[in-house]
Amino acid sequence: MEDLVRELAVDKHARYIVSVEKRKDDFESVVMEHLRMSGAYWGLTTLDILGKLDMVDPDEVISWVMSCQHESGGFAGNIGHDPHILYTLSAVQVLALFNKLDVLDIDKVSNYVAGLQNEDGSFSGDMWGEIDTRFSYIALNCLSLLHRLDKINVEKAVKYIVSCKNVDGGFGCTPGAESHAGQIFCCIAALAITGSLHHVDKDLLGWWLCERQVKSGGLNGRPEKLPDVCYSWWVLSSLIMIDRVHWIDKKKLIKFILDCQDKENGGISDRPDDAVDVFHTYFGVAGLSLLEFPGLKPIDPAYALPVDVVNRIFFGR
Amino acid sequence: MTTQSSYSDQKGLNLLQELEYILDSDPLIDEVGFIHPSQFVALDHNGDDDLLQSEGGIESSRRLQANFSETGKLRFWCRDHKLGISTEVLFPLYNAAKHLFMDVIRQYKILRNVYGEKDNMESDVMKHSRALLLLSCDFGTAWNSRKMVLSKEQDLSRFMDELHFSALVLSYSPKSEQAWSQRRWVIRMLAERCPNLQDIVEKESDLVRKITERYKMNYRAWNHRGWLVSYMTISQVLNELNKSRHWASLHVADNSCFHYRRRLLLKIFSSKEGPSPVPNCTAILYQVWKEELDWDEMLIRRYMGREALWLHRRFLSLFWIKHIAIELHGVLSHLEDNTAQNNDLAYFLDNEFQLLENCSNIPDSDFEDGKAQAELSASHFSWLCKQCAKSLPTEIQEKLKTRDLKTLLHKMCPDKSFLWDDLGFDEPSANCIGPVDEN
Repeated sequence: MEDLVRELAVDKHARYIVSVEKRKDDFESVVMEHLRMSGAYWGLTTLDILGKLDMVDPDEVISWVMSCQHESGGFAGNIGHDPHILYTLSAVQVLALFNKLDVLDIDKVSNYVAGLQNEDGSFSGDMWGEIDTRFSYIALNCLSLLHRLDKINVEKAVKYIVSCKNVDGGFGCTPGAESHAGQIFCCIAALAITGSLHHVDKDLLGWWLCERQVKSGGLNGRPEKLPDVCYSWWVLSSLIMIDRVHWIDKKKLIKFILDCQDKENGGISDRPDDAVDVFHTYFGVAGLSLLEFPGLKPIDPAYALPVDVVNRIFFGR
Repeated sequence: MTTQSSYSDQKGLNLLQELEYILDSDPLIDEVGFIHPSQFVALDHNGDDDLLQSEGGIESSRRLQANFSETGKLRFWCRDHKLGISTEVLFPLYNAAKHLFMDVIRQYKILRNVYGEKDNMESDVMKHSRALLLLSCDFGTAWNSRKMVLSKEQDLSRFMDELHFSALVLSYSPKSEQAWSQRRWVIRMLAERCPNLQDIVEKESDLVRKITERYKMNYRAWNHRGWLVSYMTISQVLNELNKSRHWASLHVADNSCFHYRRRLLLKIFSSKEGPSPVPNCTAILYQVWKEELDWDEMLIRRYMGREALWLHRRFLSLFWIKHIAIELHGVLSHLEDNTAQNNDLAYFLDNEFQLLENCSNIPDSDFEDGKAQAELSASHFSWLCKQCAKSLPTEIQEKLKTRDLKTLLHKMCPDKSFLWDDLGFDEPSANCIGPVDEN
């Protein structure tokens, strides 16, 4: 394990994240500006897991986050953009990292989220009505962090998620949609947050999830796909939540993630030797944290926040 | 500094004007792509004369000029309704499109509920959001602005134009979640006014087929096609099953296509009940399911080691056992005879076991494909036994227990031993092999 610790380029990854945030002079960086709020969540959570959150100025981050709030209470991906439930959760998570949830008008934010629940229990992403189990997870996570689950019909929300379960034990984005590890994470985490995991056939789902591990040790998100570091989060966190993580080879997975690092300039890519980005850097580091890699803060598999942040919110310590 | 930035702003605005001019001049553009300047050279040699030529001859020479920079470099290329944008101009072009769009949408949101003529503003919203989305396909605010304008106008032909536009975005970004979502929004709008969506459903299905041809295993595209199933009639479902069969047999690793077929099959299953049951549905179901099982087995034997084919088989066999052989048997044979049903089941499971035996004893199993085939077959049979065990009559359950699955699984797929141990595949015990104890 001692040798392994040296294999993770902690300082370089932290510097990479801080540098990406400042890049605004080419097409590749500006073209992602509509989802900057999610970028902030990925980057800052990574820094926190690495123990490097002090590299950023909290006041600067918080004032930017708050300038993305819309009059409806929801947050946009960037200043002047339209609000969406995706960015609302990211904003709440970023504020939680800095222990600054108190700057929010909690009822305003939670009314926005609760207002997106539909009659059948599902959630729309915004006022335009697209429905997805990702939005169910986001709503439940967000309202739980804000202690406002009582604003929605939790029973119906759970029922809708369960209706998206497939014969293979997995879940898709709507009823009948193909099982996908990313959607499975959303559904399992939503059920975990609401204490409803008894709806899951753990052996059946665990079987499908552990079949995502390919020969190289990496995980894919669907049958026949190439492995990708981001599934180290989605598959792994799901396996942990249903208590079946011992069905995969953890050592091989750790090696796969470590092989995806850019050891010179920092950052983690989807597969070895590809170009790095913040998204995969977060999922790589979060995956290693779930695998109890030494020196990293443990992360909560359902809330996708460091365990100490979650404890602070729920146990006030 | 100011002069420099206003210079680059002006450059961006000029580029944007050029792009919007090209888009306005040829509303039939159906494909767009970003092209590196070195690739332009190749396009250039393929026929200078046709460059940017659409209808008017005099116009074309002017537009040809307009698409070169001061240094003589080509920035846009358009022919046969295909548009290429030089990667060198993307950054200034994007900045200009974004600033103009953000300005106009800000004003529009303030003024749209105020009485007065806003046609110009609406056309600017549509124009600038169009340019922006051709550069940044998931810019949600731009898609929303279009929905805002379209829902106010409620003009059928404008909804159809929007389908054309989002297809154009998908031509350069086939995985764009927002573009697929925009199509569903438009179709929901259309469904409110014309309940008969047969034509649209067919065109959508065709679009997905074309897109997945170029970009394999596209979850969003297939999911869109699956979403359409709820709008389909039974004859359309059967037609879709036929149409996608050939495609699937050429793309045996694409699990999404097989999932689409599962969705179609389930639609037939659910059509036998409900407020307006389809006549003869049970017989159709039986026939179609049987064909699908045989076809899948043929593909499995032909293409070794393909996970998607085996996963399709898991679904097909489990469903067959639980819902067709057991539930529907009586209905189909007009017999309430358990023996016949059990024979059917026993025959089915024997066939699955035969498949396992054939696939796990491949002489050249040193090859990766052979190994994978053996692993997948063992895994398939065990999965099936585990999932259907409780639905089976006791005597068939007992017969299954005589198969030594644990040893097989440990031999074929040793890297999943934790799974096999935990799932409790027992080694066959002596009393299971003997005659079945009726108690």
